[in-house]
Amino acid sequence: MALPKQVADELRRVVGRESVIDSANDLRIFERDGSIEGAMPDAVVLASTTEDVAGVMKVAANHRIPVVPRGAGTGLSGGAVTIRGGIALQVTRMRRILEIDPVAQTALVEPGLFYAPDPSSQKACTIGGNAAENSGGPHCLYYGVTTNHVLGMEVVLADGSVHWVNGDTPDRIGLDLCGILVGSEGTLCAITKIKVKLLRVPPSIATLLAAFPSIETASQAVSAVIGHGIVPAALEMMDSVTVGAVEAHYHAGYPTDAGAVLLVEVDGIAESTRELTAAISKILGENRGYGLREAQTPAERELLWAGRKGAIGALGRIKPNYYLHDGVVPRSRLPQVLSAVGEIGEHYKLPVANVFHAGDGNLHPNILFDLRDREVLHQVESAGEEMLRAVVELGGALSGEHGIGLEKAAYMPWIYSDDDLDAMHRVKDVFDAGGTLNPGKIFPDPSRKAVHLAGRTGRAIEAKWW
Amino acid sequence: MNAPAIEKPASAEALAKALHEAASHRLAVIPVGGGKARGMGDIPKSCDVELHTTRLDRVIEHSQADMVVSVEAGITLEALQAELGKAGQFLPLDPFNSPGHTIGGLLATGWTGPLRLRFGSPRDFLIGVRVALPDGKLATGGGRVVKNVSGYDMMKLHYGALGSLGVIVAASFKVFPKPLHDVTVTSEGGWDDADRALAMPVAPSALEIFSDGRILARYTGSRDAVDRVVGDLDWTIEEPSIWERHSRRAPARWARIAAPRSVLRRLVEALPRGAGWWASPGTGVAHWAIASDAPSVLDMRARTASAGGTLVMLDAPYDFMREVGAWGTPPKTIEIMRRLKAAFDPDGVLNPGRFVV
Repeated sequence: MALPKQVADELRRVVGRESVIDSANDLRIFERDGSIEGAMPDAVVLASTTEDVAGVMKVAANHRIPVVPRGAGTGLSGGAVTIRGGIALQVTRMRRILEIDPVAQTALVEPGLFYAPDPSSQKACTIGGNAAENSGGPHCLYYGVTTNHVLGMEVVLADGSVHWVNGDTPDRIGLDLCGILVGSEGTLCAITKIKVKLLRVPPSIATLLAAFPSIETASQAVSAVIGHGIVPAALEMMDSVTVGAVEAHYHAGYPTDAGAVLLVEVDGIAESTRELTAAISKILGENRGYGLREAQTPAERELLWAGRKGAIGALGRIKPNYYLHDGVVPRSRLPQVLSAVGEIGEHYKLPVANVFHAGDGNLHPNILFDLRDREVLHQVESAGEEMLRAVVELGGALSGEHGIGLEKAAYMPWIYSDDDLDAMHRVKDVFDAGGTLNPGKIFPDPSRKAVHLAGRTGRAIEAKWW
Repeated sequence: MNAPAIEKPASAEALAKALHEAASHRLAVIPVGGGKARGMGDIPKSCDVELHTTRLDRVIEHSQADMVVSVEAGITLEALQAELGKAGQFLPLDPFNSPGHTIGGLLATGWTGPLRLRFGSPRDFLIGVRVALPDGKLATGGGRVVKNVSGYDMMKLHYGALGSLGVIVAASFKVFPKPLHDVTVTSEGGWDDADRALAMPVAPSALEIFSDGRILARYTGSRDAVDRVVGDLDWTIEEPSIWERHSRRAPARWARIAAPRSVLRRLVEALPRGAGWWASPGTGVAHWAIASDAPSVLDMRARTASAGGTLVMLDAPYDFMREVGAWGTPPKTIEIMRRLKAAFDPDGVLNPGRFVV
């Protein structure tokens, strides 16, 4: 549905004629993010400044039109999809580094830049999107997720007002507005500037690869490492399906006879990485790990990680399409949840590839299928739902790092009571009383009982990340 | 002011009921944990009911393998550490005015200690929270997993809110393995030595500097790394029990200065001559034992604010507190904070007048 001409004209007055896109053909590329379901925006606005964002918000509020803030569109839960039409507010032009303070170890950036926590989409995703989704990544096991690294933000609320929340000081006065806005998935504000914490580059990094006979034994090894009081920088697992596809694609030297592979990284000064590497190798060996290999050069380390970060694209060798979930369980429940995932895949006769943040208990089962087989879609959807159900039944949560978005809103009552959701709704109403900001996300919509793949799924062959 | 009614409910449900009961009569409610931060904030406008969490003192579940613990809010930090210690784990929290803090109190006040340098604050390792609201509801946010983006981050809403939106009745934390190696060293070298230690490739887990120029630095982690940095620094080895003595500090009149770490030294050096203080230069937090008059505090607050920091009074006699105010100028976002307050506590029964909202 096209925007009324008057609204389009008002938007053009705010951001300039060239920065409003509303022809059907041009809009099509903004129809989707990295998730499964798409919807066409009525217009895309390319904002260049905070004033642009504030002006767009005011126009939208006056006409009660939905606004969906959008970065690179790499999100996996539908957070950037304009499910109720309206304006996709694109911030990728805002990508300056405004200030770096090496003493305080902070940086002030616009939302369109890459930064420290390392989601697997880091080659493309934006810091604004990371802050909106509270993104994770392999190295968040030790370093924490996005919210632990954002010191303050400039935000624009639905009424067009511009605010700085939190800032440089370690202890603010009053409520932690920044904390509640990070991870709010564009439903409470648009983010226009972000002040982040910078970390010193560790002088030494050691990367280990070990093979295991099965997912269960690898999970045991994960628990054993952490049980010994060692929290590595990253601790990632890939199952045999993934390893086979990755090895065929990247030739990274992953052992293809293994039931599962662990990728472990520690960093610090050389003394500590040496000591930790020795300790971890011993624990992995005691837990049936074999074929232990340590990257000897930075290039070799890059190759080991390229296999991990590019795994989903490699899965295209097995089936052209995937559907990915992001549940998280208490770490000790990994063997149980992975065996449930395997059984669900077998029941539906769908191959499943697991590649995930084992140290955090954050699993990523990829259900692999061929979209040309129209019959299979319903099966894929049911299998995904059952896997999430298994996660929740083992004491887990719906999403570890991808967000609830559109995809999992219907499942929120699985983990939160009406009173819990009511408390979240009060927050929503404070920031966006008119309900125009990213409507249809996070909160269950009674008119959308369940998620529908609607013929839309990720294309494994195109994907370079999750 | 009449003496307040003292209520000590034995369950979260009973606490929510008592809170609702008080709220429905528009009675002013002051939540109390260990009573260690009673002096924090402005003097409440009224206090009809003191709602104590001290009977909510259970460990709900400690999963050693998951390194996650869920507790009721009235458990003391020491009782929780004893439980975690049995599994070789701990919560990296070492607040001043110890012992006796409850977990709920520490979350509500946001008090931290020296270990914040390495581990951050509970803001970073609080993974779930359950809160009683004035309308009698119990609302949970987060969960029992270490990484979670399911819905809004309600932990951030209540952490440091001084019980002004609800009363925390339970919390879940990510806990940490006790360090393999833990060594404390000391020097008399003042700020220059502190800067030197903070610039070394192995960062201390805690580093405190005192007004007499003394420094305490604590190194934890792998034995080889700790031994190397301790050797490089070549300071005097100190007994680890010094940290417990340090955590007992609680002057009758004190303030917390928080600022970007690049300006903390300048601010601390502007304190009145002869002032007693201690600081965590790596985090940007200093504590000031105030021996001077109220105008000196207002002067420091103005300096701190213009450097982008905050000065909060942690305790002082009534008259002194009235004169300086606990918080200083409200932040520019105060209107949003007031709307949040109104959404959760529409009648303003929780800690009226004590917090900024």
